[in-house]
Amino acid sequence: MKKILSILTGITFLIAGELEIGSTMPLMDHQLADISGKSMTLTDAKGDAGTLVIFSCNTCPWVLAWEDRYVTLAQEFIPKGIGLIAVNSNESQFESDDSMEEMIEHAQEMGYNFPYTQDPGSRLATAFGARKTPHIYLFDEKDKLVYRGAIDDNARKPRKVKHTFLADALNALLTGEKIDPVSTKALGCSIKFN
Amino acid sequence: MRVIIAIIFAFFLSGCSRVELIEANSKTIHDHVSSFKGEKAVLLNVWSTWCVPCVEEFPMIVNLGKEFKDLKVVFVSADFDDHFDGVKKFLNKQNISGVSFMKNEKDQPFINGIHPEWSGSLPFTILFGKNSGTIVNFWEGQEPESKFRQAIHLALNE
Repeated sequence: MKKILSILTGITFLIAGELEIGSTMPLMDHQLADISGKSMTLTDAKGDAGTLVIFSCNTCPWVLAWEDRYVTLAQEFIPKGIGLIAVNSNESQFESDDSMEEMIEHAQEMGYNFPYTQDPGSRLATAFGARKTPHIYLFDEKDKLVYRGAIDDNARKPRKVKHTFLADALNALLTGEKIDPVSTKALGCSIKFN
Repeated sequence: MRVIIAIIFAFFLSGCSRVELIEANSKTIHDHVSSFKGEKAVLLNVWSTWCVPCVEEFPMIVNLGKEFKDLKVVFVSADFDDHFDGVKKFLNKQNISGVSFMKNEKDQPFINGIHPEWSGSLPFTILFGKNSGTIVNFWEGQEPESKFRQAIHLALNE
């Protein structure tokens, strides 16, 4: 019995893993439903200089605190060749808080200037090993993961941010400098898998 | 009438002060957990008042703490720092008594300090063995009671 429990423990530990730095962007042709009414893939979202994938949703307090920075980052970096896409993988809430109607309304309210998509089957979240919202993955022009984790170090108080992790990573990517750190952490809401 | 009001007021006040909510960093929390080594298994649960799955599983965890005498449940709120009163109010509503914690550290050192393999997703649960004091299991997200029970039995025997 103890042996079985130990095996189960090991499995739990494995589930916590996520996409390693240097990995190729997974499931690039997985069809996502965008708020524009069109279907799109990560391939469609790619930028010439790199691609930013943000796992997000409509209601998580940490998303609500950070999402003003989605918009400013998009304004700054999309013109510089970065593709940006927000992915909602909360499939168990696609009929309620994270329905397409709610997503459209939320995106309009917050002034989203990038695709905001539903991830059927939460397949992207599973493939990325994404466990929470918001959760950031930045890929280079060759679709290799170069940064993952947090936007910065202060969700609620943008003026008190000391480390702009993601903006720093984006700037380093664009100038060919070393990205440091390549991985950061922040609190977030668990993705609601079915 | 005045006496009745005074009694009601006193009862209300005592109800508000059942829990001792302490702001703490991850090291202080682990030191607290370690103090139970050799006496009790520990279930550490990081939660937030704004996290729906956290709030949903909270009463179940409270009941497990009451059921297993050799299990100490330690709750750690990861709410934003301006929500201290809201956290305390929630804990009192759940009839929590004794020490409970609220994070007062930046996210990254807090997350890594609690467990280096934790992504930061809430809720987060760790089970520490009764005799070993070491981690016997941990997981992110809401899980059924059966999983908690399985891990508790393992922790009580380690």
